Amino acid sequence: MIEAALAIVLGGVFNAAILFLVSAGLQLVFGVQKIVNLACGSFYALGAYFGISAVQWALGAGTPRPLFLAVLLLSGVALAAIGPVIERLLRTIYARDESFQMLLTFALVLMFEDILRIVWGPRTHVMGGGLYTLYGQLPFGAVKIPVYNLLVILAALAIAILMGLFLARTRFGRIVRATAENREMSEALGVDMARVYARVFTLGTALGTVGGALVVTSTAASLDMGIELIVDAFAVVVIGGLGSMRGAFVGALIVGVLKAVSIATYPELELMAVYMIVIAVLVLRPAGLFARATA
Amino acid sequence: MHTTRRNFLKLTGSAAVALGGLDAILAAKRAPLFAQANPVKIGVLPIKSGVAATVGEGGMRGFQWGVDRINAAGGILGRKIELFIEEETNPKDTTERFRKLALQNKVDMVSGGISSAVGLALGPVAEEMKMIWVSWDATTQKGIEETMPKPKYSFRSTDNECEAVMTSIMAAKHWKGKVKTAAGLNLDYTYGRNNWDAFQAITKKYDMGLDYVLDLWPKIGVTDLTSHVAAIAQKKPDIVFASLVFAELPIFMKQAHAAGLTQTTKFIFPPAGLQHTAMKKAFTPDGIIFGHNSMYFEAPNASPLLKQFTKDYHEKYQDYPHFESDRAYSAIMVYKAGIERAAKAIGGKWPTTDQIIQGMEGVEIESFGGPFKYREDHIPDCNFYAGFTTSKNRYDFSTIDPVEIMHTKNLQPPTGMGFFKWIESWKA
Repeated sequence: MIEAALAIVLGGVFNAAILFLVSAGLQLVFGVQKIVNLACGSFYALGAYFGISAVQWALGAGTPRPLFLAVLLLSGVALAAIGPVIERLLRTIYARDESFQMLLTFALVLMFEDILRIVWGPRTHVMGGGLYTLYGQLPFGAVKIPVYNLLVILAALAIAILMGLFLARTRFGRIVRATAENREMSEALGVDMARVYARVFTLGTALGTVGGALVVTSTAASLDMGIELIVDAFAVVVIGGLGSMRGAFVGALIVGVLKAVSIATYPELELMAVYMIVIAVLVLRPAGLFARATA
Repeated sequence: MHTTRRNFLKLTGSAAVALGGLDAILAAKRAPLFAQANPVKIGVLPIKSGVAATVGEGGMRGFQWGVDRINAAGGILGRKIELFIEEETNPKDTTERFRKLALQNKVDMVSGGISSAVGLALGPVAEEMKMIWVSWDATTQKGIEETMPKPKYSFRSTDNECEAVMTSIMAAKHWKGKVKTAAGLNLDYTYGRNNWDAFQAITKKYDMGLDYVLDLWPKIGVTDLTSHVAAIAQKKPDIVFASLVFAELPIFMKQAHAAGLTQTTKFIFPPAGLQHTAMKKAFTPDGIIFGHNSMYFEAPNASPLLKQFTKDYHEKYQDYPHFESDRAYSAIMVYKAGIERAAKAIGGKWPTTDQIIQGMEGVEIESFGGPFKYREDHIPDCNFYAGFTTSKNRYDFSTIDPVEIMHTKNLQPPTGMGFFKWIESWKA
């Protein structure tokens, strides 16, 4: 019984790990650039499609099968090269109203969906060849947990720790935090804002593309996958607090585990349970659990 | 004038030439009368984006294949077909596009419609605008019973429950006495809920003695089903009945396989055909009851038509077709056959809309899945295919063997009869 409960919670934590990566990208970009980047879901979908193609190409070229996880990580990181290009486009609306920013990033979501359809076609893309279970399965009560799921959870945890260290301990991390706190003061002190924005956006993009690349082994690449995730990612940032990395971490855990437990206990509550928490946070702590309230 | 033999011959000769010429002119005018006229304008509403785009794409490919063949053979009564392709999205926007096709493009017929919700919205608009609409796959039992009881201009799809009925009957036939518990994993919309209700009603009718231990309702487009898999594993059902239509199906199968669920549980996937090439052997076990709806590309009774289509499809798209191609192909071919039948009845003239409708009612065509025709209530009668998954094939995905074929006469209620009353009337 306890093993079954733990297996259900682990399923939720796996979902939370992916949610965290995408939400962290959303948080980072908002924290510094003050843009609600809806296209983070598109980066996630792009990472999934590109990841499948990269693995197929790499295995076809003779790469040993156990290295497919490394190929996925690399493909996600490489794909972040689109970040500076998108950021260049977003520069035109930094000074505009938030509604314009959201409209532009939503337009990007729609355009990316068309790009995915044109390049990969509308059919579902699945990574076959038994790669999902290549690293083995651990018996866990009535179910087995694929080791791959645990590796993804560990990877997300490692990325969270590295992000924390990067923001707290490195020179560029301090600049990023200073920019998030007070853009004008940072600029007055000589910070090259265009450079900071381009780098931060690229990092945010990488979190999404790596998330997509990692998840595709256990799921499939489909056109709507980005939009599906954006909805959950918004629940995460509302609960955790817009712009907060710690908020993304805790929010993702709450959403992922709550959904898993709801499905196992009372499936009709799967969505409602999450949005009850969202409403409670909005009423009792409007800035989210970890963001500081602003006047 | 005195008529000599020479004059008479001249006169009759001239008359013959003149009459012959006139006849030739008339013949020339008569035969290509429609050829010289405008093309037949047909509006199409395939889904192009989102999670169901793969369904729309399969349908559009089958429809286009049919149109290309008709045009290559000279068109419908000599009139080539011109397509006006719009898009199926939500009910409101799709009905607006339907109106645009009718009023602005002035099409002669509209075809398409996959979503149940869109189908329920399009039917009344087609009736109101007196525009022939041939659906591909958009009908639910509720729709048949309530929204369009006696349609004139709408030609609908088979009952959505057909594949659930067929696979449930197969489960009763092959697994009765071997299973005790069942769990449902069905998409959280009309189709999924209707299918789960149908499965329970049929398995009860067959007295399988099943205990329905769990019903889960994932949303369309969900990309992670690990929690659903864990919840199912906790209940340890003997059967999982899963109406998953889009990417959710291979995702579920992959995650269920990785969790070890496939070693102990039997599966029924009524609408799996739409995802058949995504069901890789690596994670799809043998022995799943797997529905292919109205067409299976490797059917044992495959006609030369199906073989040709599958060959052309694979050469062009490096893929294998699913049943939506059959639904769309039959739509255009019934329309063509209806026009030709009506024209024949009125001496070769181009028929009116009402005459075309009469021509379409009951006319039988050969579709990819076999003979296809509409009943008097504009619901199709055709073959349905399902079988047990096997990995013994030349592809990287699972196929079915043996293949079972049932006719819709045994899979959907007769005209005017409610679904559950019909099941009650069975002699199981």
